[in-house]
Amino acid sequence: MLAVVLGYSATSNKQIKTEQTMPETVNDKRVFSLLEVTKSIQKTLDDRYKSSFWVKAEMNKLNFYKHSGHCYPELIEKKDGKVIAQIKSYLWKSDFNRVNNNFQQILKEPLKDGIKILFQAKISFDPSHGMALWIMDIDPSYTLGDLEREKQETIQQLIDEGIYNKNKTLRLPLLPQRIAIISVETSKGYADFLKVIETNSWNYKFFHLLFPSILQGDKAVQGITGQLKRIRKVKNHFDVVAIIRGGGGDVGLSCYNNYHLAKEIALFPVPVITGIGHATNETVSEMISFSNAITPTKLAEYLLQKFHNFSVPVQEAEKKVIDKSRRLLSEENTKFQSEVKLFRSVTENILITNRNEVKSVISSLLQYAQFIFKNQNDYLRTAKSDIVKETNSLFINAKQEIKNFSITILKDTHSKLNHYQLIVSQLIDKLYSQSGLKFKSILLELNNIEKNIANMSPTNVLKRGYSITLLDGKAVKTIEQIKSGDLINTTVFEGNIISIVNSTNKKTDQ
Amino acid sequence: MSEKLNYTQAFEELQTIVSEIEQGEISVDELSEKVKRAAQLIKICKLKLTTTEEDVNKILKELGTASTDDDE
Repeated sequence: MLAVVLGYSATSNKQIKTEQTMPETVNDKRVFSLLEVTKSIQKTLDDRYKSSFWVKAEMNKLNFYKHSGHCYPELIEKKDGKVIAQIKSYLWKSDFNRVNNNFQQILKEPLKDGIKILFQAKISFDPSHGMALWIMDIDPSYTLGDLEREKQETIQQLIDEGIYNKNKTLRLPLLPQRIAIISVETSKGYADFLKVIETNSWNYKFFHLLFPSILQGDKAVQGITGQLKRIRKVKNHFDVVAIIRGGGGDVGLSCYNNYHLAKEIALFPVPVITGIGHATNETVSEMISFSNAITPTKLAEYLLQKFHNFSVPVQEAEKKVIDKSRRLLSEENTKFQSEVKLFRSVTENILITNRNEVKSVISSLLQYAQFIFKNQNDYLRTAKSDIVKETNSLFINAKQEIKNFSITILKDTHSKLNHYQLIVSQLIDKLYSQSGLKFKSILLELNNIEKNIANMSPTNVLKRGYSITLLDGKAVKTIEQIKSGDLINTTVFEGNIISIVNSTNKKTDQ
Repeated sequence: MSEKLNYTQAFEELQTIVSEIEQGEISVDELSEKVKRAAQLIKICKLKLTTTEEDVNKILKELGTASTDDDE
């Protein structure tokens, strides 16, 4: 344990020099560890603040931790809207529960942010956690803090003027598509807001224009009202004004309870929506705005929701139009089909009836026709047999006649033949006798002619002494043919004389 | 689509057609026309969701003259 006490205002430098026992020495400087220093502070404070005391302050935030049940209130004091004192504090679970019960009983409100409190506290210092006020009790009768009072006053004033609901009663267009944004270009809230509306997965398209302004602290009132006045000049281009803040602490939001800013928003001709970005403690500006969202992201989602509110019914309408049209058509179709069915069955019946009639007519017709055929057939058959009979008898008669006729012919022919045969044989006999007589006379004549011819032959002439002289084989008929010296051949009966001529003598007369 | 309908009118007309169809007030003869019209309106509405016609330069120009007024 260190026995050293570091004195700041309470003790003199001299005392430190003489009483310190274990300081390190580095480069001729005496050096303490942080723990040594904080322990020293702790000791001093413990010695100085031995009892508890009552304090008034604004509890800017309660900082209740659900899990542990403890609270770590943020305590401030303000002057002219500026924070002039600030300290951490803690309120243990058991104390909190008791105080909160008191508040709810007396104020009809729980212990909450942004109220001015009167509390009993002790100074607490811990080397590792630093300085804080340990709140032991809070007096609920000391209620509304400065912030809250200003807020209430602003609200009351707006109500009195009859403009508290003015912006809320404006009509937001079906599609709040054109947004005038009052924000800081580099703020996280602005980036969050843009990210949501620009990267939405439904392809909703927004038009937005930034009107930059400081968003917290005293200058915010002037900055925001100034931009609202500018937007007023071009209000026809916008459907909605969005005041977006985010990423800063919760200190400095009292500007949104400012009467002038709240009034400007209330009277603004275009709906103003706010996404100031804090966990609790709704400001007047947020209360009187057309719509308020806890964070810029939520605000962007609010706008997307408006688009959905438009888009979803359009989609539903599309679906309904399709469904109902289909149903209507299908109903008509069904009706038509049943008509067709009915028509078909009726016509089928008619067809069947007619077909049956036709069938019966056909069958009776057939029967009748068969009957007629049979009759005709019978008739024809009788006729045929009659014809055959008649023909046969005719044939027999004709045959008989022909036979008789041929017999007659035969008889006649025989008698004629006999008659002509007799005549022919008589003629043959006559021919024979006549031709024999003729033949005998002709033969006698021929014999006489033969005798004459034999008397006149050369041999018989020769015999009678005649000869034939030949010169050169030719008969010599005249003396002129022969001259002296010719060799002549003289044929006589039974021989030849060959002689040479000595002389010739021609007879002169004869 | 030559006619200039704003989306509120388009939306309301669409709702009318839908309720007519839902209540069976439309005959098959009219159906085709109505469905055609509904399709046009749906197209207009969907187009409105995904487009804007604002011109930043125009607004800035108007603001320029406006801020001069403001200063006075």
